[in-house]
Amino acid sequence: MTNTAQTIDPALYAAVTDAIRAEAKKVLEAGAAAAVVGWQAGRRQGTAMPAIITDPAKVAELIFSPACVNNLALYLSKAKKEIRARGRIAIVVKGCDLKALVGLMGENQLKREDLHVIGVVCAGVQRAGAAKDIPLSEETIAGKCRECTVHTPEGADVTVGTLPDLPHFTPVESEELSRLEAMTPAQRWSFWKEHFARCIRCYACRQVCPFCYCEQCLCDRNRPQAVETTPRPAGNMAWHIVRAMHLAGRCAGCAECERVCPMDIPLNLLNRKMAKELKELYGHEAGFEVKEKGPLAQYREDDDQSFIK
Amino acid sequence: MSRIGVFVCHCGENIARTVDVEKVAAEAARLPGVAYATDYKYMCSDPGQNLLKNAVAEHRLDGIVVAACSPRMHEKTFRNAAKSAGLNPFLCEMANIREHCSWVHEDRDEATAKASDIVAMMVARVKKDKRLVPITVPVTKRALVIGGGIAGIQAALDIADAGHQVVLVEREPSIGGHMAQLSETFPTLDCSQCIMTPKMVDAANHPNITLHTYSEIESVDGYIGNFQITVRKKARSVIEEKCTGCGVCSAKCPQKKIPNAFDKNLGTRPAIYVPFPQAVPNTPVIDRANCTWFKTGKCGVCQKVCGPGAIDYEQEDRLIVEPVGAIVVATGFELYSITEKPKGSPIKGYGEFGHGTIPDVIDGLTFERLASASGPTGGKILRPSDGREPKQVVFVQCVGSRAREKGISYCSKICCMYTAKHTMLYKHKVHDGQAYVFFMDARTPGKSYDEFWRRAIEEEEAVYIRGMVSRLYQKGDKIVVMGSDVHVGVQVEIEADLVVLATAVQPRAGADTLAQKLGISYDSYHFYSEAHAKLKPVECATAGIYLAGACQGPKDIPDTVSQASAAAAKVMTLFAKDELEREPIVAKVNEKNCVACLYCKKVCPYGAVEEKEIRDRQGNLIRVVAYVNPGVCGGCGTCQASCPSKSVELDGYTDEQIMAMIEAL
Repeated sequence: MTNTAQTIDPALYAAVTDAIRAEAKKVLEAGAAAAVVGWQAGRRQGTAMPAIITDPAKVAELIFSPACVNNLALYLSKAKKEIRARGRIAIVVKGCDLKALVGLMGENQLKREDLHVIGVVCAGVQRAGAAKDIPLSEETIAGKCRECTVHTPEGADVTVGTLPDLPHFTPVESEELSRLEAMTPAQRWSFWKEHFARCIRCYACRQVCPFCYCEQCLCDRNRPQAVETTPRPAGNMAWHIVRAMHLAGRCAGCAECERVCPMDIPLNLLNRKMAKELKELYGHEAGFEVKEKGPLAQYREDDDQSFIK
Repeated sequence: MSRIGVFVCHCGENIARTVDVEKVAAEAARLPGVAYATDYKYMCSDPGQNLLKNAVAEHRLDGIVVAACSPRMHEKTFRNAAKSAGLNPFLCEMANIREHCSWVHEDRDEATAKASDIVAMMVARVKKDKRLVPITVPVTKRALVIGGGIAGIQAALDIADAGHQVVLVEREPSIGGHMAQLSETFPTLDCSQCIMTPKMVDAANHPNITLHTYSEIESVDGYIGNFQITVRKKARSVIEEKCTGCGVCSAKCPQKKIPNAFDKNLGTRPAIYVPFPQAVPNTPVIDRANCTWFKTGKCGVCQKVCGPGAIDYEQEDRLIVEPVGAIVVATGFELYSITEKPKGSPIKGYGEFGHGTIPDVIDGLTFERLASASGPTGGKILRPSDGREPKQVVFVQCVGSRAREKGISYCSKICCMYTAKHTMLYKHKVHDGQAYVFFMDARTPGKSYDEFWRRAIEEEEAVYIRGMVSRLYQKGDKIVVMGSDVHVGVQVEIEADLVVLATAVQPRAGADTLAQKLGISYDSYHFYSEAHAKLKPVECATAGIYLAGACQGPKDIPDTVSQASAAAAKVMTLFAKDELEREPIVAKVNEKNCVACLYCKKVCPYGAVEEKEIRDRQGNLIRVVAYVNPGVCGGCGTCQASCPSKSVELDGYTDEQIMAMIEAL
């Protein structure tokens, strides 16, 4: 059994909460931002949910805790026009969320000068379904946080918090990926076929993804219909392949798609596999710098061609 | 319901041999929306086109599918026919059942079934075709000619004489190209310099020609009628406007021993030089790699002696943008060398001929410099090694050419004739000398060509030996030539004083890089490809770009000049119009759905995508979307494939049409 006594000190989250409130008050009072996008406590004990604060008197509603799982970059994409319409926005981001912001800037969706980015040092968040209100441990920490390389966001306007010493966690994500890669193509095909067969096409993965900002998704088109809309195997497969291909080279790895999936389809595993391919083929990693062109939007003579057989 | 007409062409036997055309027409007639279907022997002929026109009127057709050859061949023909019958030409589509079917299949039943499928797909597509109107774009009536050899000069002069501006770009310090290096020319033996240099002067003095020598093409943007060319004018270190061409700088330059490439390194030149006395422009250039000033920072003699103060050591490369409407590519050729080739190169050298290490084994162009009155020997035939007059000269044909094992399988075309000329020039200068020629067969088609070759043998006493040379090696001061005489069936050995190799004609090094900048295609040897071997021999597949001379394939001077004038005529045809009609097969953005991720802008190879702001009547910004400039769009469809929300579509190839085609299968 793993050492469940090894936990993350909750003091970090309390300190970050105070700093977020102070910064939010400052920018709202100074008029440097029209709204602050952050997290507030959820109705149930130990939960959190996205919050949009416009009144400096209400900054005390903002919190940071291991329950702050949501990637708030979603609230700045075109899909949420009404927030952007307010003016310059301050946004609270974890390291992983910042990667999505950077990606959106590269895709002409956001301008850096329109944002006030409050970066928070994050030791980790809860996995879906974990027991609430206890310090993060091997039992409760989310998969993506175990191998996190962006605890401290780089390039924010202010960064708050100090990273404590972290316990060692089992790297479940890389183990999951190795298991997938060890499969034969036929095994992989049936692995995904079984998972996608369960999909009920609720499109929660699409709605939560900061990169799915199309105002009309091509899957909602009926003239011509590119993807069958009923939850049957062929249409499900088509939808998930479209989703994976459209995210290749763009996905920032926030794993929100996998967290919200009611059918527990390992969607982020597919995203991570695509990201790994792009890193190996083109040395590309999404979300670290605003790039004019991703690897799939350009052709270079020295591009790897070995896959053409 | 649509009223589509389907016309299935036999193409003589080309299609009908493998495809049951009557069955294809009968099956097409049963497709929903098809009002009329028939087959005919030659749809593209006058009666074939009339059949189509009459059917449009008689059956009130509102769309046409011609099942015949590739649209590249006859789409225009049938669209014009549809237009004259009163239909919008873009409601006429080709179903390619020749290149895509009959030519590539053998089984008649399977080919017939496939032809029917292709027709069904095109019927589905034509039903969703829109009535499109051609786009007009203005034409910039200025031409760019790349390469200042005889091809480029001829094309430039012809276009300039027609009253249009021409920009002539030459990589070397002087125009003239290979023809300026030749001694005399076949089949008349008139002096090359005497006929070439006046043309060079004409080009330089022509009021309509802008000359950029010592310059290269940096980049090419735009499209037919509207190219933007960036020319890199390399630093000459001499201010052209000030230089009077007096030559004092060259005379006083202390560096005198630099091999002169124009003389095939037989002679020498100073570091500040004009490549040859008749150079145009007569403006020297400093060879910075060999100049004492640039190597050590000392000397400066040329600057001190230059009266007009034209020497500028600080000069830098300049980039000049030239807007032009048409481009003639005339970059010429270079000779294959027998030296060892880098590992992995598909073309090999000749170890059996000493890989170029025997000094008295030279190529044809070097012989031209020896025979030239203005050459390093003043026109005397002297051996490079010891300056002695050679008494026995062996000429070897087809070195590199027609030698698949050496990596080149084509015939270089000019060598038979110039070797015959060389034997004559040699005999005229060395009366007691003997010329031998090893040859596979003499290829002398052309006006007065065979007579010329016969004269070399019958009057000038050249000995022609049919056979190949297997080895060359130095023995004392002689070169032993080991070959065979296949007529007699014996091995031959000749001890020669000089050996002249007729080495293969190859495209210029870097021809592929230039082609990539221009967006034109080239073959595996890097010769540029014409649009059609027979019917479009001077046009590139890329509109507005034309070919002249040996950059397209080995050519002699008469052919080169003819092709240059032909290319010029094509440019003039283009310039006869003020506006060009372009096919309206361009991408359009659905502004309602576009989220301006601008992926289309990133992938567009034509730079046709811009950002467009949509504002309300008060001027408030509502949204930003992508916009495709129809004048620039090349209709490739890359944007359509890359758009994540499917908000951009190519007219004539919409997603709806492609899906309908797939469903028709």
